[in-house]
Amino acid sequence: MAFLDNSGDIILDAVLTDEGRRRLAEGKGTFRITKFALGDDEIDYGLYDKNHPSGSAYFDLEILQTPVFEAFTNNGSSMKSKIITINNPNLLYLPVIKLNDQSGRGTVEANFGADTFLIPVDKTTNDKFTADQNTGVIRSPADGEITETFGAGLRLDQGLDTTSISPGAGLSSDLREDTFIIEMDNRLGSLISFRGSDDSDPIEKTPSNVDDDDIATYMVSATTDPDFVDAITNTTTQAGQVISGPRGNRLRFRTRPKIDLAESDYYFDLFGSADASATITGASTLTNVKYIDSFVTIYGASTGYTVQIPIRFLKDNS
Amino acid sequence: MASTFKTFGSDDQTVTTTNLHEVIPITGTIVSGTYSDNNIKNYAHGMFQSVYDYPYLSSSANHIFDITVGYSANSSLSGAANTQNAKKINIYNQFAKVLVQPDVTGSIQDFDQDGDISGGGAKMRECFFFPFSRLLVKDEIKKGSFQMTAFLSGAYTSLLAPSTVYDAGAQTDYKVNSPAGEYGLLYTNSAGTGTPIGHVYYQAGIAVLTASVFNLYAQPAGFNADDEDITAVLTGSSISGSTDGFRHRLKNVQFNNTTELNSSIYFCRAGSNEFNYSSNPTYLSGSQVVIKNARTDTPASYITSIGLYSSDNVLLATAKLSEPLKKDPTNELTLRVRLDY
Repeated sequence: MAFLDNSGDIILDAVLTDEGRRRLAEGKGTFRITKFALGDDEIDYGLYDKNHPSGSAYFDLEILQTPVFEAFTNNGSSMKSKIITINNPNLLYLPVIKLNDQSGRGTVEANFGADTFLIPVDKTTNDKFTADQNTGVIRSPADGEITETFGAGLRLDQGLDTTSISPGAGLSSDLREDTFIIEMDNRLGSLISFRGSDDSDPIEKTPSNVDDDDIATYMVSATTDPDFVDAITNTTTQAGQVISGPRGNRLRFRTRPKIDLAESDYYFDLFGSADASATITGASTLTNVKYIDSFVTIYGASTGYTVQIPIRFLKDNS
Repeated sequence: MASTFKTFGSDDQTVTTTNLHEVIPITGTIVSGTYSDNNIKNYAHGMFQSVYDYPYLSSSANHIFDITVGYSANSSLSGAANTQNAKKINIYNQFAKVLVQPDVTGSIQDFDQDGDISGGGAKMRECFFFPFSRLLVKDEIKKGSFQMTAFLSGAYTSLLAPSTVYDAGAQTDYKVNSPAGEYGLLYTNSAGTGTPIGHVYYQAGIAVLTASVFNLYAQPAGFNADDEDITAVLTGSSISGSTDGFRHRLKNVQFNNTTELNSSIYFCRAGSNEFNYSSNPTYLSGSQVVIKNARTDTPASYITSIGLYSSDNVLLATAKLSEPLKKDPTNELTLRVRLDY
């Protein structure tokens, strides 16, 4: 999309999204606008110059000159960062959501796709991982015969990541994130629970919506989904923690690959890649693979904070 | 509690209807001349011609209107020996069926000259028809804006001064007894006096012109390139041959179209204590707000987008500001988002 003309009066360029048009065409009454949010996708707050020599009137000069794109019609392409309402104007710290790669989970795969979580899609691929060495692997193949998942999964912690405030001070309720929104490609995976070493009988969530681009949206909350969201109980030490200050809730889940990936190469051939000489930590015999790179997006429902986790669906191609 | 969404109240949405008008000028040289008729599409069935604004084999070409001719089975010109007699009657009946109110038995009636069907009077039994494309007409032709200028007199090779027909006075005086909507009467003067010589159907986007208009000007032989008068053309020429002759005489067509725009207006109100922080990843360093040095510094955000959502948090519409708008606790904003349907 081009930039909007910003030489004169402020104008507003409004469009229906593709999902909005689809719902309108569907005629089932699902096109009903009930609320709004404000966004600032284009803004780089790093341009705010608190030390500008000409004074405070110039602090945000560069931000205010930021050109703005025309509206995107793809519902998944805009409103990535939202403006937040918090009644207290005297906050210096705001909560973040961070991937917790501590507490025995180690680091994500470093050799085959840096910082990417590997997800074997079938039993054959899964069995080539010899042990819990590569803790970036999320063991959740579609094949129901798999029982050993090595207790691997994703954990994201929420809270104030600052050493200025002790974790024991506690996180005020208006900054605590009780509900998380998770988006992922519905053709590739679905959301299941992750309860650490207790991997038996995981709970599979049903998406609250699947849009026209096959992006599934899941909502999980501490109230209704304690297997996914619960409080971080360690409020005293930094052991196994990534949030230095007051801690709120943690989100834990895994991605279960769709059975289509296990039983067919269609999506791998359509938008995946192949590597005949891959080096994968903890799976020395797994060298000839097909894979699809994707990501999972996690939003805080009330704070709007967003994290994207890269994932790689992996299939033995030998 | 922090929040990113604000629910609309009952006073935050309103619905309006606006009529937009565009001027549509069609110059006669496009209709006949400029493109050596490469923009005129004839069909094997020979029942009408399509006029494009560019040679129609080009993907850039837009269909702008069709032109055809027909007469009633009740016309004195109707005769089995005529060229395309049945098709000319079929064309006339098709337009009459759609545009003229049928009688109580459901039978098709002829076009009435003054539109007063129940009052009897003269009929228009031989007519040229101009159905304009929806691209031009949009929702309807604006009443009182229709003008067609044509060389109604003179021979094919020596045309005399052109005449203009108007839907004069139609802003306040039009007919509603057509099943296709409202229509105005066409006159050869802007005062709307004299005998009507056709109709323009506003919602249907169709102009109907009686062929007898050429007789008003003592039409000499030479209506078409074969040097025939209008009567001979209607009986002895094909439909496309007749419309070729008319296109040659067409100088200009102009009208204003109308688009009925139904709009939902959403008032997105941001109070002084609302929307002052951001979840933008650049807003924080660690967890500290980068635009604040101290706790008591005023927070601020810079709005570039507005998202309109369903109750299940799906983005249904989005709007962009042309420049960032600063929001802090010292101001309140109302952003007015209009969605047109």
